[in-house]
Amino acid sequence: MKSFLSDLKFKITTIIFSFLFSISSSLSTADTVNILGLFPFSGPYADSGKLTDQGARIALEEVNYTINGKKIKYVTRDSETKAGPAARRAQEAIDTEGVKFIIGPWSSGVALAVTEVAKKNKVMYYFSGGTEDISGKKCHKYAFMWAANAWTAMDADLKIFKKANPNAKKIYLFVVDYAFGWTLQKYVESLAPKYGLEVVGVDRHPLGHREYSTFITKAMSKNPDAVYMINFGLDAISAVRQLNNFGFTPKKPVIMSWSSGFEELIQLDPAARENLIVGSNYYYTIDNPENKKFVEAYKKKFKGVPPGYAGAAGYGLMKMTLLGMQKSGSTEPQKVITALEEHKGKNFVGDFEIRGRNHQTVRPFFVLQTKKKNEMKNQYDMAEVVDVSSTEQPKNINMCKDIGSF
Amino acid sequence: MKTAFNAVFEFLKIFMTFLIISQILNGLGLGMLYALVGVGLTLILGVLNIPNFAHGVLYALGAYLAFTIANLTDSFYFAMFLSPLLVVLVGFLLESQGVRRLYHAHHDYQLLFLFACALIIQEVIIIIWGPIGFSLLPPPSLSGAVDLGFLIYPKYRLVLICFAFFMIICLYLFLTKTNLGAILRAGIENRDMVKVLGINVNVVFLYTFGLGAYLAGLAGALSAPIMGLTPSMGLDILPICFVVVVVAGLGSIPGAIIAGILIGLSQGAATIWFPEATNVVIYVMMGLTIIFRPQGLFGVR
Repeated sequence: MKSFLSDLKFKITTIIFSFLFSISSSLSTADTVNILGLFPFSGPYADSGKLTDQGARIALEEVNYTINGKKIKYVTRDSETKAGPAARRAQEAIDTEGVKFIIGPWSSGVALAVTEVAKKNKVMYYFSGGTEDISGKKCHKYAFMWAANAWTAMDADLKIFKKANPNAKKIYLFVVDYAFGWTLQKYVESLAPKYGLEVVGVDRHPLGHREYSTFITKAMSKNPDAVYMINFGLDAISAVRQLNNFGFTPKKPVIMSWSSGFEELIQLDPAARENLIVGSNYYYTIDNPENKKFVEAYKKKFKGVPPGYAGAAGYGLMKMTLLGMQKSGSTEPQKVITALEEHKGKNFVGDFEIRGRNHQTVRPFFVLQTKKKNEMKNQYDMAEVVDVSSTEQPKNINMCKDIGSF
Repeated sequence: MKTAFNAVFEFLKIFMTFLIISQILNGLGLGMLYALVGVGLTLILGVLNIPNFAHGVLYALGAYLAFTIANLTDSFYFAMFLSPLLVVLVGFLLESQGVRRLYHAHHDYQLLFLFACALIIQEVIIIIWGPIGFSLLPPPSLSGAVDLGFLIYPKYRLVLICFAFFMIICLYLFLTKTNLGAILRAGIENRDMVKVLGINVNVVFLYTFGLGAYLAGLAGALSAPIMGLTPSMGLDILPICFVVVVVAGLGSIPGAIIAGILIGLSQGAATIWFPEATNVVIYVMMGLTIIFRPQGLFGVR
C-alpha cells in the first residue's frame, strides 16, 4: 500500500511538473522569436566568426532585442567551417531552441549544407555570401544571400584591374579548392577575354593552406601581369604576404577578388599590402548616414577599430531579417520571406534589391586600391574605394530555374 | 618540323628543371621549419614518453612574443633571440607544475592536460593580442628578393634555410658531443637505465621539455615573417609535427630532421603536378610509412 501511494505521489508530481514546463515552453515560444547566429568560432575562418557575431548583436541592440512586440532570443552555434557539424548544430538549435531564422555561416561549402537543413525544417536562412548556388541551382523559398552575386563581383574586379593596368594581358589564378572557389574561377575564366586578359595558369590549393612559396615560384615562371587570388581570410593574407616576400608586389599588382577588406588588410604590414586591388562587399568608408551610424556603433564596441566585411555581414544579415519581420508585421518565416521578395530600398551598403524569382541580391560591390604607407592618414586608412559596380548577373546564366513554393 | 619539336622539348626540359629546382628550394625552407618543430616534439616524446599536444601553441607563442619584442625594441634579431627563451620558461612551467604530476597517471590524463593547456594558451593569445592576425616583417637587410639567375627568391627564406641548418647542426653536436646530450639520448633508449645510473630524471625531463619548447618557440619566431601570426597557427602546425614524428620513427632525432625535410620537399613536388594535394601528400606519406614501415624511417620501436 505504502509503495502504491509513493508511486502515485511520484506520478502526480511528474504530471504537474510536465504541465508547468509545457506551459512555460509555450509561453516562451509565443512571446519570443528565436534567431540562430551560426558562425565559425573555430576552424580556418575563426577570426571572422566573432566579428560577424558582434555585427549581428549591434543590429539587435538597435531594436533593443524586440520586434513586433516580441522578445528576440539570439543564440549562437559554432559552424567550425565544416559542413557536417554546422548542419548538425543548426538542426539541434531548431529542435531544442525553437529557432525559426538562421543567419551565417560565412563559408560557402558550409552554407550549402545549412540551406538544406533550412529547407527541410521550413526556417528562413540568410547566408552572408559566397557560392551563387544559394540563389542559383540550389535556390529555394527559404534561403537568401546578402552579398553581391559572384558574377557581379568578378566582373567588377576584372574591369577595374584592366582600367588601372591597360597594358596587362596575362593573369595567374590561385584558387581555393572548394565550391565557392570553383564558382569564381569559372566566372573569371569566362569574363577575362572580355577585358583582353588571358588566364595563363591556375593553381588550386586546399582550404586552410598557409605556405604559398611553391605556388608563387610556379606562377612567376609564367611571368603574369597580375596574380588573381580566389581565396579568402588567412589563406589570402598568407598568399599576399608571401607574394610580397618574393618581390612580386609592389612591382606588379595582386587582385584579392573577394576579400573581407578591412579585416584582411589590417593583418598585413603596410609594405606588404602595397599595390593590391581588393574586391569586397563592404568597406567602412561607404558614405551614407546608415553606414556612419553602424561604423560609430561598431567602433564604440571595438576600441575605435572600424568594421570589415565580417562585422558588416553580421549586421546586414540581422538587419535584413529584422526588416522582413517589420515589413510583414510577423515573425512567421513564410510571411517574412514573402515581405522580402522583390524588396527594393536603401541600406548601409547602398541600393539593395532582392529578386523574387531566385532570391538574388542586386547591390553594390566595392573595388578598393590599397594606399602606400605615406598616403595613409591613420593606421586604418588602408585603401580607397576606386569603383562600385552592381551590374546584375545575366538572367541566362543564373541556374535557379524554379525557386519552388513553401 | 623536327627542329621545332626539339626546340619546344628543350624549352620544356629547361622550364621543368628550373621549376623542380625552385620547388626543391621551397621544400627545403619549409622542411627546415618542420624539422625544427618536429625534433622538439620527438625529443619530448622520446624522453618523457608524452605526446606534447601543447607543442603547437608553444610555436605560436614564440611567434607572438617575437612580434611583441620586435615592436617594443625595434630589433628583429633581439626578438629572435629572446622569444624562444621566454617560451622555454613557459615550457618549464608546464613541465614542473603540470606534466610532472602526471607521469604515473594514465596516458589519457597527460593527453587531456596538454590539450587543455593548448586551448587555454590559444585563448590567452586571443585575449592579449586579439582574434585578428599580424605581420612581422624581416629587417631591411633581409627584406626583398635576390635573383638567383633561374629564380627570384626571398632573401629571408635563404637565410632561414641556412640558419635552420646551422641550428640543426648545433643540436646534433649538443646531442652527440655533450654529457647532457648523451643523457638525453640514453633517456630515449632506456629511461629506467638512466634512473639506475643515479641521474636525477626530473631534471632531465625538465631540460628536455625546455629544449623542445625552445625549438618550437624558435621555429614559430622564424616562421612569423613568412606565415604571419594568427591565434590558430599553433593548432595548424600540430598535425604536421606529429606526421614528422611518425614518419621519422618515435624518438628518432635524425629521423625527425630528415622526415621534416622530406615532407617539405614532397609538398613542393606536389605543387608542380597536383597542387590540390599539397596538404594531403603529408598524410599520404604518413599512411605509407605506417603500412610499409610501422616503426618509422629511423625508428626502432
